[in-house]
Amino acid sequence: MRFNRSTPASLFLNLLIVACTLILTFPLVWIVMMSVKQQAEVMTWPPRFIFTPTFENFRVLFDAAHAGATSYGTIKVDFLTPITNSVVISLCAVLVSLVAGVPAGYVLARRDIPMKEDIAFFILGFRFAPALLVVIPLFSVFQTIGLYDTYFGMIWVYQVVTLPMIIWLSRSYIEDIPKDVEEAAAMDGAKPFRVVWHIVLPLLKPGLIGASLLIFLLAWHNFALGLILSSTKAPVTVALLKLLNPGVQFYPVMAAGLVVTMIVPVVLIILGQRHLERGLTFGAVK
Amino acid sequence: MANVRLESIKKAYGTIEILRNIDLTIDHGEFVVFVGPSGSGKSTLLRMIGGLEPISGGRLFIDHELVNDIDAADRNLGMVFQSYALYPHMTVRENLAFPLRMAKASKAEIAAKLAKIASLLQIDHLLDRKPRQLSGGQRQRVAIGRAIMREPKVFLFDEPLSNLDTELRVQMRVQIAKLHKQLGNTMIYVTHDQVEAMTMADKIVVLKDGNIEQVGSPHDLYHNPASRFVAGFIGSPKMNFLGGKVVAAHEQGLHVRLEAGSTISVPVQPDQMLVGKPVTVGIRPDDFCSPAPEQQEISIGLEVDFVEHLGSVTYIYGNVGDETVVARAPKSGSRKGAGKLTLTAAPADCHLFMSNGKAVRRLQAPATWS
Repeated sequence: MRFNRSTPASLFLNLLIVACTLILTFPLVWIVMMSVKQQAEVMTWPPRFIFTPTFENFRVLFDAAHAGATSYGTIKVDFLTPITNSVVISLCAVLVSLVAGVPAGYVLARRDIPMKEDIAFFILGFRFAPALLVVIPLFSVFQTIGLYDTYFGMIWVYQVVTLPMIIWLSRSYIEDIPKDVEEAAAMDGAKPFRVVWHIVLPLLKPGLIGASLLIFLLAWHNFALGLILSSTKAPVTVALLKLLNPGVQFYPVMAAGLVVTMIVPVVLIILGQRHLERGLTFGAVK
Repeated sequence: MANVRLESIKKAYGTIEILRNIDLTIDHGEFVVFVGPSGSGKSTLLRMIGGLEPISGGRLFIDHELVNDIDAADRNLGMVFQSYALYPHMTVRENLAFPLRMAKASKAEIAAKLAKIASLLQIDHLLDRKPRQLSGGQRQRVAIGRAIMREPKVFLFDEPLSNLDTELRVQMRVQIAKLHKQLGNTMIYVTHDQVEAMTMADKIVVLKDGNIEQVGSPHDLYHNPASRFVAGFIGSPKMNFLGGKVVAAHEQGLHVRLEAGSTISVPVQPDQMLVGKPVTVGIRPDDFCSPAPEQQEISIGLEVDFVEHLGSVTYIYGNVGDETVVARAPKSGSRKGAGKLTLTAAPADCHLFMSNGKAVRRLQAPATWS
């Protein structure tokens, strides 16, 4: 399709796009800039855009040997652990959700079970609940049964974020697979498990890759669950907050931490862009 | 010997009955066509035989074995779907191999079978393509090939040709009929197209509203329809129906006064009970001959509406009283437009239906060909 627009209108629209881009990129650029500045430069007003960049802040984040000694004071940070925690927790949370959620989505899509729609809506309901609502009562429960500050407990509780999404997305993807194809496989001698293994899963794969990426990002950015239910196993989002804590605030180090935290999703989005778009619109157009 | 026997098979969704007490025997090697309008339950019946739809009541035997509670995967049937239902992520080769892989056949066996069937269906050159790279007719052939691979006891076809264009449909019809000759398997074929039913079937099962209306050979159904519904459904263009009333019974049949005026004598079972009752006279468009050739005949005045030239035949559409009538025009002469015309038909070609739709038995049914 081709639309012909008047010159002023298209000029206006283009300006609008430029404005949106600027508004969206400004904080990112600002933080990246901050992360390569010295502490003293961060505070100057008016802000300086031309300066000698330093990677000192990134070194501080990961350099346990020098115990975070900087040219402008010493801070104790251990950023490697929270990064590892986040990777482990988010990755495992997605895997567990896939294992549990895809079969659940299949049942909701294909089988006639009583109160199907109510169950589906109940699962989706978790997406509406504020995380803190879940977390506060869980705090004491987790402490009592020994799940507080464990990977196991964290992965479990992250299912609140990841599982409903996987169930809903996989349900809608499965509904888009023609039922005939599954029936044909049954006629060809495939038992239900093999139908799923040989036919449904391969057809679902592109959608599931996209959905997993999307949900990994949701898990990666989660803050409330880790804040209350963990300390040494805290994810990177919580660790960032702790950089603000000690009396003196090392803004450039925190900015460097933010950049590191953002790199993971950015890399994933760039690598998986094709799948991500597919995951969001999978099956929408045949 | 793979015969199929249905004993008062029922299907109901809650209180809604889809199929009522279906009794049917399909012999080994028979080509049986289920035909009926949409909603008649023909596809449901096929899916129940296939094991894709649970049976609500009655007993189903395949090869003398009760299969009511046997999984579709274990019934050893082959099915071709309307949508072809090829596996989109597999190549043609993988699609064809799938049933044998499920049966844990050896690689050599799969390869040998594959080569044989690919050449039988002329799809050898397509083996490495994905289904989306194939045309409708090619997909259809792959779907048939996949169904044959396992050498199933019975083939099930669920309206396999309805997604193809007319020309291809005729080709595939011939190909399926040939395949049946070559393989000699029992085949059950569902269609709403009576032409497919007439041309392919050994036995046609006409379904209507979840009941079997009539079972018989195409010839039987055409010449001795058991009901007005079957008479109207089989044959194209449709049989003409003219309202009338029985005025007398005599040895050679019944005298019927048509609403359009004339009185005709129809050679059917002369049942005194029918005298005075309203009936419907059925005459096929092809059974009208005008001008009249021989002996005793029935003649009806037709108000011509328009004329349809189809090349080899010409059909005349018009009205007799309030009823629309179609008649095949004689070969000689050409008609253009409106006017009056006298149609004649041999009494032996007339059908008579009671007000409940049932046919009155004909006395002079045409002999079977073959």
